[in-house]
Amino acid sequence: MTRSARSDSLHAAVRRFAAGDRARSFAELALEIAEFQREFSAGFARLCAARRASLSNVGDIPGVPCDAFRLARVALHPEAEDRLRFSTSGTTSGARGTHAMRVTETYQELALNFGRAALLSNDRPHHVVALAPRLDDPPSSSLGHMMALFMADFERRAPLEVRTAERWLIDDRGVDLAGLERAAAHAQTRGETLLVLATSFALVGVLDALEGRTLPLPAGAVVMQTGGFKGKSRELEPAELRAQVARSFLISEPQIVSEYGMTELTSQLYEATVPGSALERERRGAPGVYAEPPWLRVVPVDPTTLEPVPSGEIGIARIIDLGNVDSAVAIQTQDRVRRVEGGIVLLGRAAGAPPRGCSLAIEEFMSHVGHQGGGR
Amino acid sequence: MSDFEFETRRARLEPLFESARSLADASTERGKLARERLAASSGLSAQGVDFALHRCLETAPDEREIAQLIRSTPSAQVAHVLLSANVFVAAHRAIAIALSASEQVRVRASRREPEMAELLLAGAPGSFQLVPELSPRSGDRLWAYGSDETMDEVAVALPAGVALHAHGSGFGVAVLDGSHSDSELSALLAALAEDIALFDQRGCLSPRVLLVNAAPAVADELARELAGQLETLEKLVPRGTLTVAELSEIAKFRDTAQFTGEVFEAGLGYVTRSNAGSWLLPPTGRNMHVLSCSDALATLLPYRPLLTSCAVAGAPAVRDAFRRALPGARVCGFGEMQRPPFDGPVDRRDT
Repeated sequence: MTRSARSDSLHAAVRRFAAGDRARSFAELALEIAEFQREFSAGFARLCAARRASLSNVGDIPGVPCDAFRLARVALHPEAEDRLRFSTSGTTSGARGTHAMRVTETYQELALNFGRAALLSNDRPHHVVALAPRLDDPPSSSLGHMMALFMADFERRAPLEVRTAERWLIDDRGVDLAGLERAAAHAQTRGETLLVLATSFALVGVLDALEGRTLPLPAGAVVMQTGGFKGKSRELEPAELRAQVARSFLISEPQIVSEYGMTELTSQLYEATVPGSALERERRGAPGVYAEPPWLRVVPVDPTTLEPVPSGEIGIARIIDLGNVDSAVAIQTQDRVRRVEGGIVLLGRAAGAPPRGCSLAIEEFMSHVGHQGGGR
Repeated sequence: MSDFEFETRRARLEPLFESARSLADASTERGKLARERLAASSGLSAQGVDFALHRCLETAPDEREIAQLIRSTPSAQVAHVLLSANVFVAAHRAIAIALSASEQVRVRASRREPEMAELLLAGAPGSFQLVPELSPRSGDRLWAYGSDETMDEVAVALPAGVALHAHGSGFGVAVLDGSHSDSELSALLAALAEDIALFDQRGCLSPRVLLVNAAPAVADELARELAGQLETLEKLVPRGTLTVAELSEIAKFRDTAQFTGEVFEAGLGYVTRSNAGSWLLPPTGRNMHVLSCSDALATLLPYRPLLTSCAVAGAPAVRDAFRRALPGARVCGFGEMQRPPFDGPVDRRDT
């Protein structure tokens, strides 16, 4: 079978798995994808050889460090076959990492499948807006692309123009508070559920713009927050941000749900807190606990040996994402995590070796040349 | 500068030099004490401390270099010194510069590694003051060494009228140009391995990248040989203790390099390879990246503000070109990176 045919076959198998077909287990699929990648990615083959990875169990799949996406092409196929290219955040184009996809249907189905479970609290139509800059064309931000997917799918009105200014409530002047008020009024009038998709720094922007005032959202509204602050706003602890947003929008804290995703992944994790959502009914997660979709598994590993740590201990996250058929099925992040009942707790990015004396730290070097780790 | 002033300044330095000489001598009580205390605080192996004291502590500086140091140092009412950790021998040069500037010298040592300043003072009592905090006033000068973050904090907090000489973060590079016999190459790489191993590569002069003007296959061979040299040296001078954060950086670096190019085990460290293009700065702990490129100078120019030291093996004209293009860096030969001439600050990036 050719590379493309094997890729197509694996994508189809992953989509069937996501749809509930358990003819093949998570481990079987993960190992088959890893074997496929070892065959067609020289870099992954070298990594497997160096780690003496037999690929006989999921814990044995070496994670490709996120930095690799910034230094090399992490794709099994040639650029001519790219149908989407997502860039990591960065300050110079040359330093950005790219996650190239040759099959977009898998991304779409996986994102929608778990997004619906985590974010939709009822069967009514939704009105979806994003506290984010308007989506570029073709989309280079995986987050922006996902937000547009949610708009088109959750509103159940086709065809839907998702690139209008009414949908994207951040521009060069900052947060469009009036736009958010209009969206709230629109949802209220039509009896729709408002879903606000937002980055954390955009929410801080809203809080700052409101200057202590409130902007009531309709009952049942849901706010999805994601990402860090990246120096774009003042920083708030997650619990404090959630509390302040709830107070400002006059909604309950469980209606604010955090998402975890990154450009290097195809899939996302969510807190299982939105009242009435399928994920909340199934897992009843606490705030701060991120639930994995069935096709993704987080393996906390020791930061020095990269071996899995005992359950419940803190490690850095190796993420096995079956959606990454054509890139890297296992990604090694620097995010500190701990497995708990119902999912994983994020404990922040492992600090690089702090500057000791005058030797240049990697982070300083990356900053100088324009690399920005992670992000979307 | 008058002869009188010059001689006055020169006289202030002598007790410090004498103190350094007695520390470098492993047979003296002070030498033994220094090795004990520095090994405990620096994280280096005992052999690493001894290696650094022998190779890098200036015990008999050249008089012409001392003269240059004295003449190039501006005078100050009070000279303040903020020392960093890791490269303990740097305290000697830093204090010498301050003593050249003023008869009143106040030194704040690194809280993590205060030993070297204390040891130097014990051997030259009264020559300078060790203080828990610096409080410079208008008319004073402050020589500060450390991370860029520390330099920023110092600059913000400094009272008006205090001159700051900031020496922040940086790294060293080595450039191999021209043709060399096999034996010359072995000698060059052995010398470079020593530059890397000193202080377990935690200094701002420590080389982190070797640029090779050669075909990729040749660069691969050089990387392999450098790895071998590092492994051999490690048997004589074992790597010290690294923190979990440092070990984690190394694991990430190794796997990233494995994915993007070649990795050669070099004792406990790694030598990695790639051709021109994006590359990752190796973490400290005796790791090196070998980059093959056709124009090393052009490759380095974007990093000019960060470069403190550049060892060049090549024709004199090539070395001169690097000296002109990288005025902030010490341009030297392989094996000389960690012992720049005692003629002024450790690098030329004085701001």
